[in-house]
Parts: sequence; structure tokens; C-alpha cells
Amino acid sequence: MTGQKIAEPRGPEGVSVHAGMPGTVERIANLPDALGRESMIIEIRKNGEPKTIPSLEMLKGWEQIPAEELPRIFQHSGLVTTDPRMEPVHTKLQRHAGARAIIINSCEPEPYITCEQVLIMSHALEVLKGAELLKKTLGAKKIFFALESCNLEMIELIKSKIYSLKWEHVEVRIVPALYPQGLESMLLQSWFPGEEKEAVVFPASTAFAVYEAVALKKPFYERVVTVGGECVVEPRSLWLPVGISFQDAIHACKGVMREPQKILMGGPMAGTAQKTTEVFVVTGTNAILALPKEIAKEEPEEPCIRCNRCVDHCPVSLSPVMITLAAERKEFSVAKEWNVADCIECGNCAYVCPSKRPMLKLIRSALPPSGPEAARG
Amino acid sequence: MAETALSPKTTLPTHIRSADSLTRRHWGQLLALAPLFVAACFTGHAEILSVLLICLVSAVAFEFIATKIFGKKENLRSGETVLAAALFSLLMPSRCPSEVVILGVFVAVFVGRELFGGTGAYPLQPLLLARVFLQLCFPQSMTEPILLAGEGSLWMLVSVGLGGSILLKQKNGYWETPVLFMSVCFACEALFGGNSMPLAFFSGVLFAAFFLLADPVTLPLTRKGTALFVLGAALLSSNLSPDGFSIRSAGYAILGMNLLTPFLDIWLKPTPYQMKRLTKATYPA
Repeated sequence: MTGQKIAEPRGPEGVSVHAGMPGTVERIANLPDALGRESMIIEIRKNGEPKTIPSLEMLKGWEQIPAEELPRIFQHSGLVTTDPRMEPVHTKLQRHAGARAIIINSCEPEPYITCEQVLIMSHALEVLKGAELLKKTLGAKKIFFALESCNLEMIELIKSKIYSLKWEHVEVRIVPALYPQGLESMLLQSWFPGEEKEAVVFPASTAFAVYEAVALKKPFYERVVTVGGECVVEPRSLWLPVGISFQDAIHACKGVMREPQKILMGGPMAGTAQKTTEVFVVTGTNAILALPKEIAKEEPEEPCIRCNRCVDHCPVSLSPVMITLAAERKEFSVAKEWNVADCIECGNCAYVCPSKRPMLKLIRSALPPSGPEAARG
Repeated sequence: MAETALSPKTTLPTHIRSADSLTRRHWGQLLALAPLFVAACFTGHAEILSVLLICLVSAVAFEFIATKIFGKKENLRSGETVLAAALFSLLMPSRCPSEVVILGVFVAVFVGRELFGGTGAYPLQPLLLARVFLQLCFPQSMTEPILLAGEGSLWMLVSVGLGGSILLKQKNGYWETPVLFMSVCFACEALFGGNSMPLAFFSGVLFAAFFLLADPVTLPLTRKGTALFVLGAALLSSNLSPDGFSIRSAGYAILGMNLLTPFLDIWLKPTPYQMKRLTKATYPA
């Protein structure tokens, strides 16, 4: 049935997995996933109505659960951060033990995506309580709530909720709605320059999942996903179970009205294009986009004319032109000298390039394999 | 469910691209050059059209030969060759023998650009290289360009200004590049030059500031580096010759600074995480 545990964690790093829909386990096999890698996938043959959601009841006294017990609850509820890195929540907390503050990131990660906004507008209180739980587990002093300056309604909503809760340790911070401000490293860099160990960033949807796991004992098997792009008939953000195929997700939005050029998992800047729709929603899937030809066209590549666009638009002040020119000639030591390891892979350089060079591909080829982005594939 | 074979290759980001492109830049710059040709025709310098024709035909021919020899794809449609021809015809003096013009186009398109590695790879601005080459070979016939010869006219100045503002509007380069170049040149002329500042001098400075510094390939890779480059080029071009600024001295100055570009790039290498404060949004009251 929905929410039933179908896999146990093997070591202290792992999390358990819960079924997103009722049915029987068909097979367990290594299949390619939406990130282009092979991974172990448990296939479930659906039977019964998908709407048979088990009734959830508020656990009495959930606020009194001691902080030492919370990581175990996180692990056994299958809690994973809802950004594309998909790190188990309890290991992320462990890794950042001793941090002073928690940043709840409600910025949309990329253009087109609205999943965080939709979630917060309907569940603001739950998100705040989830943040409080994360703070309690970590033993942090403060919660920063990062909100985008364009969402005036959301700013008012969060401020009023904080006021009614009388939580003085929660501080709202407004950031400009400007890509790539939603990236974790950007938030950390702008508030805690040089002291990245001082704070830990969680997406607002992760905080919501934490609240549900603790207060409602609901395992993590569904999340809000934006299904959008110009090709989808009814683009919107909706609750999707983890493990549903992209085909079914798009079908839930009345299908596509014309042949999409690209199906993306994630946003148009750093997402991954899919060759088929038979891939599955994972916990890090924040969007499924079907982009038409005129938006996602492939243009012929030209030589670099050293126009400085990428240097001016790099949010972390690198010189993408030098890094990519070095990567093209396979001179990876030169790329390292030009600080390729600091790249946050936002894709701004590739977007602005007038020569349409594959900047991100070249930069990734020069990145050290053990870098923080290696998990992203 | 997952019965269909999935191709393991997934294409990489970025999936959306800005509208900026090389073709757009080149044709945009050509559009900015149009007022100059119109003004030349109306001020009695119609011979520039024949020079333009010679330049165009020979540039296309050399480009064609270069693509055959180096086995590259033609870039006529991207407007690069047409732009080079148009700009080069503006650099040519009047009553210049057509074989000299053709030799200049050969040096610019074939030697200066294609032999040095084609688009984006040449270390020296090819048009100025060709002009300096001709200056050294034919010192008598290589006087100031047609449009800037003599006293100059107000119409010329206005057309160069108009072309320059079209370029600025396209925002392909930094706005401070022409501003810095012009102010330094005017300051040098006012301080060290004679009292007479003919209109041709102003048109020349404007022309160099807008059009000779518009090629990003030979400019440094940072904003600071570009500013230093322009400063050096302006100081050199106003002080190289005792007569003050001229297109002749500007050619030497820009080529000289081109040689310094790699050093400027390395010296002014950007420091990572020199945070551009994106987070300075204030709460709208």
C-alpha cells in the first residue's frame, strides 16, 4: 500500500524507501535513471486505486520528542533533501554538526519552476514547524528564511505566521529573484562569506517533509513537482509520488499539445534532458519540463570570440572562457589554475555565450571527479 | 513500466540560450557603419563606394580561398567577412591604387585572420595589421582615410557619432571603452597638442573609439583589463607622433597594446567568490 516500507537502510548512511503507490513489487533491477546513470530501481505493478491514501493522524506530543531521537526518525522515514543533490537529511545534519544557523531556502531553483512557492503558499505553518524541528536536531540558534523579492504575498504570509507563533529566532531575509540566487552555495556565500560551516541550507519542501515525518509519521514518498513547459496542456505544480514515470506525470496535466523538442528533469539551466518519458520522478525532481523546438533549439557551435560575456555574468567571479579553452585542449592543470573547482555549475556562461559553446559540458569535463557536484552526475 | 529501451545518452545543459549570436553582432556592427557611408556619399566622397566594392569582392574571394585551403566552413553568412571589408574600406585613403587595396585585404583577411587561426584566435587586430603593413610598404599613398582627410565636415562627425550610438545601444562591449578612449585623447590633445582641433580630429577619435576598439577578440578578458588596454591605446595613439592623434598612430597603438593583452589577462585574473552581492534586495515598504 502507499507509504509502505519497501527497502531498509543498509548502513548508517542510507535511508529507507517507501512505496509511492499501492501495488506489488514486480522486480528489482538496475535501470537507467533520469540523471543518465544506472541505479537500482524497485518496480511496482500498480493495483487498486491510487487514491487509497492511508489516513494520517497528528501524533500527540510530537513537539516533545528529544533531539537525539529525531535523526533516527528521519532515516526511517526515508527523508532526503529535495534539491538535485538528494543527500539524506540525517547525514547532512551530521556533516554540519555545530552550525549556528539554518537557512530555509524558498527561492525557486531555476526559471519555470514554482514548486516551492506553491508548497509554501498552502503550507506555510508546516514549513516553519519543520524548520524548527531541523533547528532542534542540529542545536542551532537561528533560522533564516530566504524569500524571493518578487513574492510579496509569500513574504507577508511568512511574516504573519512568524508573528503569530512569536518565534523571535526566525528571521526573514529577502533576496532578489535572480538566477542563480536559489543555489545553496550562493545563499551561503552572500550571508556567511568565508564561514560556510556556520550555516546549513535546506529547501522549504524538505522542511515540510520533516514536519510530516515527525508530526504525522508520514514517510517521504511524495513531493510537489512542477510539470510545465510550453508543450504541456495544463502546466502546474502538483503532488506526485516518488517513482511515477514522467509519462504519467505529464498525462496528469492533460498531456502534451505538440511534440516537445526536449523533456527535462529539473530546470532549463542545469536540468538533464531525457530521451524517453519512461524515467521516474525521484526525490530531487523539482520539475518536469517539456520544451518546444523554438525554446530548446540546438544551435551550431562557433569559435570563442573572447567577448567577456561569461566573465561578466559568472556569479562566483571565475573566468569561464579560460577554463573552457583549456578544457577543450585537455589542459586540465591550466583549468585548475583558473579555479575551475569553485564553479557552481549554474550555466549562466552557457546561456549568455554568443558563440553557443557548450560551456557547462567543457567545465564539467575539467572538474575534479571528487568535487561536490559529482553526486549530480 | 520500464520495458522500453532507454538510450543512456542524455544531453547536457544549458537547454535555453540567449538571443545573442555572432551573426547578430556582425550585422549589428554593419548597421552602425551604414551612416558613415551615407554621409560620405552626401559630402562628396562617393569614391568610397568603389573602394568598398573592391574590398568586398576581394575579401569574399580570399575568404573563399582560405576555406578551401584550411578546410573550414565558410562564414559569409555570419557577416564577418563583409564587416571586415566595410571597415577596411573606411580605413583606406582616397586615390589609393586598387592593387594596394587588394593587397591590404589579403593581409587582413588571409594573413591577419585565417593564417593566425581564424575567427576568435588571432592575436592582432587584422584590419589594423593590414593598414600598418601598407603604411610601411607604401608610405606615400597611405595618408589619412578618405573620410578624415582635410578639415573634415560636421556631417561626418554626426554620422560617426550616430554609428557609435547604434553600437552602444547594442551593448556588445563595455560603455567605458569609447568614453575612456575619447576623454584621454581629447585631454592629451588639449594639454600637449596645438590649438587647432579640426573637425576631422574629432571624427577620427570617435571612429577609433567606437569602431577600431569594437573587436572583442584582441581585447583583454576582464573589465579592468579592457579599461587598462584602452587607456594605454589612447595614450600611445595621442603621443606616438608629434602631430598628435591620427588613425596612423592609433593603428600602431592598438597593435602594440594587443601584444600586451595576454599579460593583462593573466595579471588581472579574477579572484573567485569576489562576491557580486546579489542579495542586496531591500524589502519593498
